[in-house]
Amino acid sequence: MNRSLVILLGALALCAALLGGSYAVSRRVCQSCMSKSVSDLDWLRQEFHLSDAEMVHIQKLHEGYLPKCADMCAKIAAKKSELETALTSTTNVNPEARQKLAELAALRAQCQAQMLQHFTEVSQTMPPEQGRRYLAEMQRLTLGLHEQTESSMSGSAGHEHHH
Amino acid sequence: MGGGTNPAAREPMNKENINPDDARLGALLREASRTAGPELPPRFQEGVWRRIEEAAAPVKAPGGIAWLDALAALVLRPRLALATAAVLMVAGAMLGVRDGNQMAHQDAQARYLAAVAPNSLH
Repeated sequence: MNRSLVILLGALALCAALLGGSYAVSRRVCQSCMSKSVSDLDWLRQEFHLSDAEMVHIQKLHEGYLPKCADMCAKIAAKKSELETALTSTTNVNPEARQKLAELAALRAQCQAQMLQHFTEVSQTMPPEQGRRYLAEMQRLTLGLHEQTESSMSGSAGHEHHH
Repeated sequence: MGGGTNPAAREPMNKENINPDDARLGALLREASRTAGPELPPRFQEGVWRRIEEAAAPVKAPGGIAWLDALAALVLRPRLALATAAVLMVAGAMLGVRDGNQMAHQDAQARYLAAVAPNSLH
C-alpha cells in the first residue's frame, strides 16, 4: 500500500482515538462528579433555580409526602397480589377478579391524586413561573407515560377495536 | 566508493530511450574529468547525469497521488500534529463535559421521579 496513504489513515485513526478517548474520559469524570451529591431534591434546585429558603420548605413537604407515598405503594402492591391470586385460581375473569381490578384502579387513582396534590403544594413554594413549569413537567413525566401507552395502544396498526 | 561514481547515475533512467548521444556524452564527461582534473567539482559526472534525469523526468500529473504525498508530509509536521492533537483533546473534553452534565442532570431527574412517583415508572 502507498506509504502516504498509510500515514494518513494512521493519522486519522489517531485523531479519532484522541477525540473519542478525551470525550469518554471527561464525560465519565463529569458524570461521576455531578452524581456525588446524592440528594433526591438536587434536580429541583438545579432545574428550577431555587433558593435555600425555598429548598428548606420543599424538603419539609418532601419528607411529609414520602411516608404517604410508601403507604400507598404498599397498598397497591398488596392489591396486585390479591388480583394475581384471584386470576390464577380461575381461567375466567370472575367477579372477584373484577372487584380486585376495580379496587386496584381506585387505589391507583387515589395515589395519583395524592401525588398531584403534592406537586401542587411544591409548585406553590416556587416563584410563579417556575412553579407552573414544575407542575407541567411533573404532569408530563408522571401522567404522560400512561397517555403515551394508551395512545400507542389505540393508534397502533393491527390493533383495531371492533365493536 | 570505487571510482567515486554511481553506476545508476551514469545510465539513463529509461534504457529504451538510449541514444548514441548518451554514450558520446559519457565519453566526453570521462575525458573532461581526466583532463580538467581538480578544476572540476567533485562528483561532477554524477551531478550532470542527475540533472539530465531530472530534466527528462515526466512531470507528475496534478490529479494523481501527488496531493496524497503532500498531505502526508503536512501531517508529519510535528508542530501541526501537536496542535491538531491538542485541539482534538480539548474538543473531546468539552463535548464530554457537556454530555456528562446532561447525563448527570437526567440521572438526578430520574432519582427525584423515583422518589415521588414510583408507581408512574412501571
